[in-house]
Amino acid sequence: MEKNVNYDPSFAQEVFENVDAGEEIKMCMNCGVCAGSCPLRFNMDYPPRQIFQMIRLGKREEVLNAKSIMLCTSCYTCKVRCPRSIPVIDVMHGLAHYAIKQGILTRRDTANFGREFWNQVYRLGRIDEKDLPRRVFFAAGFIEGIKSTLKYLDMGLKLLLHRRMKLLPERKIKGIQSLRKMLDKAEKMGKGGAAA
Amino acid sequence: MKYFLYWGCSLEGTGANFLVSLKPACEALAMEFEEIEDWNCCGASVSYAGANDLSIKVLNARNLALAEAKGSYDIVAPCSSCYIQMIKVNHEIQEDPELLKQVNECLAEGGLSYKGGIKVRHIQDVLYNDVGVDKIKEKVIKPLNGLKVAGYVGCQSVRPYGEYDSVDKPVVQDRLLEALGAEAVPFPKKIRCCGSGIFLPEIDYCLELVKDILEDAINHGAELVSTVCPMCAMNLEMYQGRVNEKYGTDFDIPIVYLTQLMAVAFGLDMKKDAALNYNIIPPEGILQAALGH
Ligand code: SF4
Ligand code: SF4
Ligand code: SF4
Repeated sequence: MEKNVNYDPSFAQEVFENVDAGEEIKMCMNCGVCAGSCPLRFNMDYPPRQIFQMIRLGKREEVLNAKSIMLCTSCYTCKVRCPRSIPVIDVMHGLAHYAIKQGILTRRDTANFGREFWNQVYRLGRIDEKDLPRRVFFAAGFIEGIKSTLKYLDMGLKLLLHRRMKLLPERKIKGIQSLRKMLDKAEKMGKGGAAA
Repeated sequence: MKYFLYWGCSLEGTGANFLVSLKPACEALAMEFEEIEDWNCCGASVSYAGANDLSIKVLNARNLALAEAKGSYDIVAPCSSCYIQMIKVNHEIQEDPELLKQVNECLAEGGLSYKGGIKVRHIQDVLYNDVGVDKIKEKVIKPLNGLKVAGYVGCQSVRPYGEYDSVDKPVVQDRLLEALGAEAVPFPKKIRCCGSGIFLPEIDYCLELVKDILEDAINHGAELVSTVCPMCAMNLEMYQGRVNEKYGTDFDIPIVYLTQLMAVAFGLDMKKDAALNYNIIPPEGILQAALGH
C-alpha cells in the first residue's frame, strides 16, 4: 500500500503538463554536468540530475519535498554548461512553484520570502525593501518575528545611516490596476502551477 | 548617446550608491538617460515562489512595452536581476512567436502591447562597446594608480546569454577598471555566485559563498572589490561581519560599484557624485592613498 502511494507512474506526465519548463527534462541525458554547477550543491539533498531522474521514476513526494528545488540561487551556471542546453534553472523554479502552491514549504523562509516578494509586486508594482523582511520575519509567527528583527537590527540601522534605506513607504505605481489585470490573466493562462 | 534607464527598486534603496554614482559618471561620458515612466519591479530572481512563469514574463514585458511606446532607445538596466529578467523575455519571445502572442494577450488587459523591438543592455556593455575604453581614459583626471581591484562579475550580469562578454572568462569589467588606472587582479571566483536573491532566507548556507569569494579576492592581492550588481554589493559588504563571526575571519574590505570608481577617477565629488559615504565599509582611505593624497 505504502509503496503505491510513493510510486506514481504518471508523475512525469504531471510535470510535463503542469510545471513551468517541466517538458525540458525530456532532453536530459543524465550526464551530471549540472550537478557540479549549483553554488549550494553541498546543501542540496539531490543534484538536479537526480531530481530529473526521480521524476522519470515517478518519485513524486521525494521530488516535491526536496530541499534542492528550493536552493537554486539563479546563477545560470547550469544553463550555460548543460550540453543539451536545458534551462535547469527554469525547471527548478517551476518545481519549486508547483510544490509551494501545494503547500509544501520545505524551506519555509525562502518560500515565504519569495511569496511575500511576489505579493508586494502585485500589491504595489514595486518592492519596499523595509517592509519585505518584516513581513517575511513575521510570517513565521510573532515571537519568531521579533527574534529575527533583533537579529538583523544592526544591519538595518547601518543601511539607514548610510542612506541606503528609503524612509517613506513605497507607493503604488500609477498603473497598478492595469498591471494587476495583466497579471491575473497571466496567472490563468500560464501553465505553471495548474492543479494536479 | 541616449538610453532608457531602468534602475529598479534596489537602486532606490540598498543599492542607492550605484544609482547616485552612475548618473554623473555616465553623464560625464555624454550618455543621456530617460526614465521609463511608471515602471514596475522586475520580479527579481525569487518571484517564482508566488508566480508562474508567464506572470513574471508579463511583468517584464510591461516595462518593455512602456519603453517601446516612448522611443527606440536601448534600455540600460544596471541591476543584474532586472537585466536578466528583461533580456530573458526578449530572448524567449524571439524563439517562440506563440509566447509573444500570449504575452500580448495579457498586456492587452491593461491596454498595452509589445512588438519585441527594444534592446536591453547591461551597463558594462554600453560602457565598453558604445562609449569605449579610449573615451573613458580621456575622462580620467585622477587615475587610480595601480590600485588592486578585484572586479567581481557574479552571475546574472553575463550569464546565461553572454551578450557582450564571455560567460566563463569575462574580461569587460577588468578592461574598464584598467581604463580607470586600476590593476584588475585575476581571481578564479570572480564568476562564482554570491547567493543572489535567496541570501537572506538561506543565510546559513550562503555565508560560505561570500567567505570563499572574499578570500579568493584578497589572496590574489585585492585591496578593494568592485561590483556591478546591487545584490552582489549587498551580500559581499553587509554580511562580512556575520562571516567573521561564523568563520573567525577578519574581513573588512570595501565593496564599491564600478561607477563609484569611475566618478572618483573622473575627478567628481567623492560624496555627492561617487556616493562613497553610502558605503558601510569605508573605501575613502584606500582610494585617497591610491590617488596620492
Ligand atoms: S547537464 Fe543537462 S543533460 Fe546533463 S544531467 Fe544536467 S540537465 Fe541533464
Ligand atoms: S541556476 Fe540554480 S539550478 Fe542552475 S546551477 Fe545555479 S543554483 Fe543550480
Ligand atoms: S531586481 Fe530588484 S531592483 Fe531590480 S526591479 Fe527587481 S526588485 Fe527591483
